[in-house]
Amino acid sequence: MTILTKLIARLLLLPIFMVAAAVLVKGYAEVGDGFGAGIIATLGILLQYTALGRDEARKLPPVRVAPAIGLVGLVIALLVAVVPVLRGQAIMTHSPAPGAPVIHLGTLELLTAVAFDIGVFLLVFGFAVGAIDLIAQAHDEEIEQLPDRVTDQRINEG
Amino acid sequence: MNLLLALSVAVLFGAGTFLMLKHDLIRMAAGVLMISNAVTLFIMSVGLSRGQAPIYPLEEGRPISDPVVQSLTLTAIVISFGLTSLLLTIIYRVYTLYGTLRGPDDATHDDHEETTSELLAQRTRDESPRERSQA
Amino acid sequence: MLLLPLLIAWTTAVILALLDGRRRWVGWLAIGAMTTVFAATLRLLLDVLQHGSREIVAGGWPPGLGITLRADELGIVFALVSNGVLLIALIYEVLEGVHERAMPALVLFLATGLTGLFLTGDAFNFYVFFEVSMTTSFVLATYGQRQREIRAALIFTVVNLLGSVFFLSAIASLYHLTGTLDMRALTAAAGTLEQNSITLTAAFLFVAFGVKLGLFPFHFWLPPVYRDTWPAVAAILSGAVANIGSYGLLRFGAEILSRELRLSAGVLVALGTISILYGALQAISVRTANEALAYSAIGQAGYILVALGIGGPVGIGAAILYALINPLNKTLLFLATGLRGWLVGAAFAIGAFSVAGIPPSLGFFGKAALFQVGIADNSAALVGLFFLGGALSLIYMFQIYQRVHWITEKQEQSSSVQSRVLVMGVAVLILALGLWPEPLLLASQRATDMLIGGR
Repeated sequence: MTILTKLIARLLLLPIFMVAAAVLVKGYAEVGDGFGAGIIATLGILLQYTALGRDEARKLPPVRVAPAIGLVGLVIALLVAVVPVLRGQAIMTHSPAPGAPVIHLGTLELLTAVAFDIGVFLLVFGFAVGAIDLIAQAHDEEIEQLPDRVTDQRINEG
Repeated sequence: MNLLLALSVAVLFGAGTFLMLKHDLIRMAAGVLMISNAVTLFIMSVGLSRGQAPIYPLEEGRPISDPVVQSLTLTAIVISFGLTSLLLTIIYRVYTLYGTLRGPDDATHDDHEETTSELLAQRTRDESPRERSQA
Repeated sequence: MLLLPLLIAWTTAVILALLDGRRRWVGWLAIGAMTTVFAATLRLLLDVLQHGSREIVAGGWPPGLGITLRADELGIVFALVSNGVLLIALIYEVLEGVHERAMPALVLFLATGLTGLFLTGDAFNFYVFFEVSMTTSFVLATYGQRQREIRAALIFTVVNLLGSVFFLSAIASLYHLTGTLDMRALTAAAGTLEQNSITLTAAFLFVAFGVKLGLFPFHFWLPPVYRDTWPAVAAILSGAVANIGSYGLLRFGAEILSRELRLSAGVLVALGTISILYGALQAISVRTANEALAYSAIGQAGYILVALGIGGPVGIGAAILYALINPLNKTLLFLATGLRGWLVGAAFAIGAFSVAGIPPSLGFFGKAALFQVGIADNSAALVGLFFLGGALSLIYMFQIYQRVHWITEKQEQSSSVQSRVLVMGVAVLILALGLWPEPLLLASQRATDMLIGGR
């Protein structure tokens, strides 16, 4: 990788995250989605992996805690689906209901659908970055034959 | 569904099938991905119309495109993304265990190896229930 | 109430994903959660048998617009059997000692996917839960992480991915033809459609579910996968995941596309016959126990297909009954191949009798229903086929028993007491249900009435 590629890859990370955030928050009423935002953010991280290598990319905070981010997203999505049942409504009923007044944050409407999209974004990001990190190991390190030892242990030890 | 779209789906499906039958595992994964994309395009072809986008606020009088088809397509894309990444992870595992990315050659007849059940059952054990370290 | 099994399974699966499944207490927590899911499913079953099917529309939308979750007699009884198989396999694995972090969470995610699949009334929601179940079973198939398991998981994943894309294209074409995704509306609309357009869709659905169930000629992935995976995982695959195939054939074939099912009866009966004979003959000729059980699974799936092909109340009733009995048999047999001891041998013998259809085991009622199908169709060939299949299954079961449990020269220690007791418990359950089959027969009869009468 040339020096220009590495420079631009490093510079592009935060703008890519901004684009992902924009796609995320406008998803409930315009073209956009939690999944698309997660993929765009993952592409930013993937750019770091290919341009800078695994060791440099692992220094970024989102990559280090990627599985935890995924689990947080899963819990958020679960809460959005289950809490309406605890309140007596059907599963995944969004509040406020269609037609009811909505709290605005600037032009952004605060709906549970937005929370669900954020949960999906975190889940996709965490899962994809975790998978990329796992496969990046194969490229950078020497891989010995690993896990026959785990199962053989159980078969042999008794 | 017009002719161009039908031809595209057919070409993608055929190319994907051709790739799936290759020996290299990465090409096989690419074939699976291409077949998934062919089916996604097929789903999109259900909702071909020239109406307006189904997002409020809507104009009166003009027909609206079908939003169900678009949500079906999005769900199909997400699912195939998840499954393809799982497939690639399994292929990575095959790579670390076998050291090569050629497909498993003969998958059915391995008479000299014992199955996992036989190995599990033939270990020598004590009669007493095993003690595991308490967590 | 309808959502209770699904939500309990989903929530506890997420909680368990945060914990380390190898620890003893986490395993027992998972067993407790799975028991709660099973109990909730049982309660829902009793409620549905008393009051008829339950519905709820997700998201609070009006029916017809939102996704309908529906528990009717057919779905709930399949959900009960699948959750029961998952519970048994989870207890087995925790008793033996879990050695992967995510395994209890995976079993609960599979329970979520299967429960959602059997309790949904929307075709695309069926696909989503189908994919959830298949993804977790792909990961479960790698349990053990040696070369054999990973190779089996790769074959399993690729073949079932193909089945899924066929299913998805069939759903898309159903939506294109009828304009709706709700299963009741599809049933009403499918009868009026022109035959040319719907036949290809029906064929794709048959391919998708045939791949899942392991019918001839889509069976080639079954023997390597069932042979090479861990015993508990093989029990889960044959006892819970294969139910997706039989349930799909019943729901999409017998209910929604019933006219196409009647038209294709000859092909179905032919393919089923080939499955029965091929599975039985191959099972006799292979050497390892797991591979013989895999070919036996192919044969048993053939019985379901023949009964479905004959059709009518008798045929569909026999198909449902057999599709509910077969998972229990397969679970017992696969779990018993991983253990040794004379108690396990007795349990295996009971499972073998159940597969062959010998009273007083439960399989006798399945076989009796099949014989009734043959008699109702006035076909001596069918009765002869079922008898031949039963005799062949007795032969290969005895071969396995002799090879595995009857060797007296090798001094092998018995396996741990708890696992043996569990396996014997499952065998006793099969015997008990064979002596008191009324609940199962009633449930399957109600499911049949719902399928036939709903048209």
